[in-house]
Amino acid sequence: MEILRIEGISKHFGGVVAVENFSMGQQDNQITGIIGPNGAGKTTVFNLITGATPVDQGRVLFMDREITRLPAHRRADLGIARTFQNIRLFRNLTVLDNMKVAHDMKVGYTIWEEMLRLPRVRKQEKAIDEKARHFLAYLALESFADQKPQNLPYGIQRRLELARTLMTDPRILLLDEPAAGLNPHEVRGLMDTIRKIQEENALSIVIVEHHMELIMNICSLIHVLDFGKKIAEGEPAAIKKNKQVLQAYLGEEV
Amino acid sequence: MFYLKVLEITSLYTILVLGVYLMTGLTGLFSLGQGAFVSIGAYTAAIAYLRFGVPFPLALALAVVMGAVLGFLVGIPTLRLRRDYFLLVTFGLSEMVRAALLYLAQLTGGALGIAGMPKRVGLPLILGSIVAITFITYSLKRTRFGRDCIAIRDDELAASMMGINVYAHKIKVFMISSAITAYGGSLYAFNILFIEPNLFNWLESAKLIIITFVGGLNSIAGVIIASTIYYSFGEFFRFIDVWRDVLLAVVVVLVIIFRPGGFLQGLELLPSKLRAMRRGR
Repeated sequence: MEILRIEGISKHFGGVVAVENFSMGQQDNQITGIIGPNGAGKTTVFNLITGATPVDQGRVLFMDREITRLPAHRRADLGIARTFQNIRLFRNLTVLDNMKVAHDMKVGYTIWEEMLRLPRVRKQEKAIDEKARHFLAYLALESFADQKPQNLPYGIQRRLELARTLMTDPRILLLDEPAAGLNPHEVRGLMDTIRKIQEENALSIVIVEHHMELIMNICSLIHVLDFGKKIAEGEPAAIKKNKQVLQAYLGEEV
Repeated sequence: MFYLKVLEITSLYTILVLGVYLMTGLTGLFSLGQGAFVSIGAYTAAIAYLRFGVPFPLALALAVVMGAVLGFLVGIPTLRLRRDYFLLVTFGLSEMVRAALLYLAQLTGGALGIAGMPKRVGLPLILGSIVAITFITYSLKRTRFGRDCIAIRDDELAASMMGINVYAHKIKVFMISSAITAYGGSLYAFNILFIEPNLFNWLESAKLIIITFVGGLNSIAGVIIASTIYYSFGEFFRFIDVWRDVLLAVVVVLVIIFRPGGFLQGLELLPSKLRAMRRGR
């Protein structure tokens, strides 16, 4: 089943073309990569899918439903979750609360019950607590539960962002440069983690990444962007040999 | 008698500080228009009671509702704006309300204000209100509502990506803050027994923000203590006149330099936490 379908989306910032006429289809249970030189518009594509920036032209469909004009929080509720290129954790919340926030849109109690701290609130909070601890343990983060994120090593913060997306009960994960700043050992761990998350939660994952080893290893399909346009699409082996792709990356034929 | 009066006034102001806590402390929204909500609360309760014969408890409830409704109406167009614009609009609001109260003299008594309320608000009601408001605020702080406030303060974009309706949440926060502030105003009217359009100007609104910062953005206990010290201190040191403000400024600068998270940081003074502290954690 096709879970995400993008039809010819474009985005201009003033005179700068960030994304032009980009289309892609994403299957359920598939890991796809988006690569391209710096400034090619990869993160903008994520911003357009999640609603962080409005689309100029084109359509975005999620599970056969058009979401092009839907506000960002509604898209998250439908099951689109993401991480950020430069980590965006909530620095004044503990690791545990960072997790809980991502579940808050699903909370069933009302603000009046919350003001009076009725039993229903306590009961649900306990369930949320358990869920958050479950996903922390799932990515081996449980020992950091009560710490503030900024006190944690960079690699742990990246993993926490990944764990936080799982709290939203996602159908699709958009990972924006998850390997940035990680050492080779951590990158290998990250690859295993991404595969594990995909398989065990039956998710669809899109990864924007510069780290070729990671992309070539875990993606079944790769889209290549350059100056906002798609210049190639295909399986890793084919992309590796694509002349246009090599040209975009290296500036000349090799 | 003097001490009782000081305690009453201090406690009244503490309610106002609690009013801005959710908005400024937790959500990072700065309003210079809280004075407008104090006035709205005070005038609503006084006019309802004196002119329309509304029973006293109902007059207070009416003030709360008016505060929330006005908060909603002001929040709808302004809370989509950047935070600095929100600050400017609320500043304008406080001047607008002041002008309206002066102009609508038939209803509000104009510059002469309103007097003649019976003294219905004493220390027990004020302190009871503080306890109730603290309970509500603390309950909100420790579950979904408060988490989402802090998430929005830290990173609005990330919050919306996690499914939080940032705009709707800010409106709720502003409505609750406005309702509490208007309630404080209505208590003021029936304690001080005289209200006039200038009773609470934007400088007073700014002081509420400053006290919230000194007490600590993440600590209700810190905010209550800071408010109590500041307002009672003000009454006892009237003889040093304008130097009070200089002294306050020095304290604020010192706190911001040496304890940027407020003097209690994120600590809440709960029995369980205090016991843990005594045991040395």
